[in-house]
Amino acid sequence: MVQINLSDNSKVSKGKYFTDKTGSKNLRKVNVYRWDPSTGENPRIDTYEVDMDNCPSKVLDILNKIKNEIDPTLTYRRSCAHGVCGSCAMNMGGKNGLACTTPHAGIKGDIDIYPLPHLKVKKDLIGDLDGLYKQYQSIEPWLKSNSKSETKEIIQSKEDRAKLDGAYECIMCACCSTSCPSYWWNGDKYLGPAVLLQAYRWIVDSRDEERQARLKKVADELKLYRCHTILNCTSACPKGLNPAKAIAEIKKMLATANI
Amino acid sequence: MENKTPLSPHIQIYKWHISSLVSISHRITGIINIIVITFICLLASLLVFGENNYEFLNSFLSSLIGKFFILGVTWSFSFQILSEIRHLIMDLGYGFQLRTTKITGLIVILGSIILTIAFYLIGKNFF
Repeated sequence: MVQINLSDNSKVSKGKYFTDKTGSKNLRKVNVYRWDPSTGENPRIDTYEVDMDNCPSKVLDILNKIKNEIDPTLTYRRSCAHGVCGSCAMNMGGKNGLACTTPHAGIKGDIDIYPLPHLKVKKDLIGDLDGLYKQYQSIEPWLKSNSKSETKEIIQSKEDRAKLDGAYECIMCACCSTSCPSYWWNGDKYLGPAVLLQAYRWIVDSRDEERQARLKKVADELKLYRCHTILNCTSACPKGLNPAKAIAEIKKMLATANI
Repeated sequence: MENKTPLSPHIQIYKWHISSLVSISHRITGIINIIVITFICLLASLLVFGENNYEFLNSFLSSLIGKFFILGVTWSFSFQILSEIRHLIMDLGYGFQLRTTKITGLIVILGSIILTIAFYLIGKNFF
C-alpha cells in the first residue's frame, strides 16, 4: 500500500550535535540517521562537524572518520571499500549508492546520510534486507541444465556470452530496489529491479534449459509489471548497470513468446 | 525493546530527477484526464436539455476559471500524449540509457508546454 507519511515510531527527530574539536577551518556538517534498538526511542539525526582537510575523498571515509575520531557508537556495514562487495550501500545526499565509491565533493551543502530507503532499520545505517534475499532465492538463481552432462563444460558462443554483460556484474547491494517507489509500496509482491535483473540474467543464459519456466514464473502483474519506468534504479546503480532495461526486455520477451 | 522497528525514510528524502518526475506526472495527468473527460461529457449532455444551458456553458468557459480549466486540460492532455509516446518507445526496449531518458524526459516536459501554447494560439486564430 502507498503510505507516504512515516508512521509514528519511524518519525525522525533532531539528535545530538558534535562540534568540531580539531580547530580546522575546512568543516562540513554531516547529518547521519541514528536509531538504537536498545533505547526504545525514535530515530534521530545526529550532526557531526567533520574536518575535511584530513579526510579522503569518499563518503565512507567520512563515516570511518566519525567512527574512529568522534563517535564510536555509529553503526554501518562496510567491507571491501572499493565497490565490489556492496556492503556500504546507503542513501547519501538523497540518492542511493555505495559510500565507498561516492565522492563527498559531489554532494552540495550538508551531507545527509540515511540507510537505504523503506527498509526495517536494524541499527543506525543498517537496513534489513531479508525480504530481498528471499525474493532473490525465489527466482532460483542457479544454472538449470538437466539434459547436459555434468562432467563436461557447456560450451557457449561469444555472442551468447555477450548477452550476460550488464547483468552478471550485479553485486546485489540493493541500491536499485530500495530506490524504487514501486518497490516501496509493493515490496512484498513486486520483485524489484535487483531481483528482476538477476531473473533476466538467467533467462538470457544460453546454457540454461528452464527459460520458459523462468519466464512463466515472473509473468505476473505484481511480480513484474509494477515497473513503471521511473528509472530510479538505473540512476542509482553504482555499477552502471541498467535494471530498467532488463525489466523492459523481460516484458518484451513475454509479449512476443508463446507461453 | 518497547518500540517497534522503524522504517527508514523513503519518499521524504529521495531526490527527484527528470524520469521520476515525468513518471509521476504521467500518472497524475492520467487521472486528471479521466475526470476531465467525464466532466466534458456531462457538460456536453447539458446542451441536450435546452438552450439556456448553452449560455451557462459559454459564460463558464469564458470566465477566468474556465480559461484556466481549458489551458490546464490542454497541458494535461499534451503531457499525457507525449509521455505515452515515450513509454511506447521504452516498451520497445529503446531509450533506456540515462542520458537518453533525461533528454526524452525534457522533451516531454518542454514539448507539453509548447503544445499548450500552440493550441492556445490556434484557438486564437493566430496561424
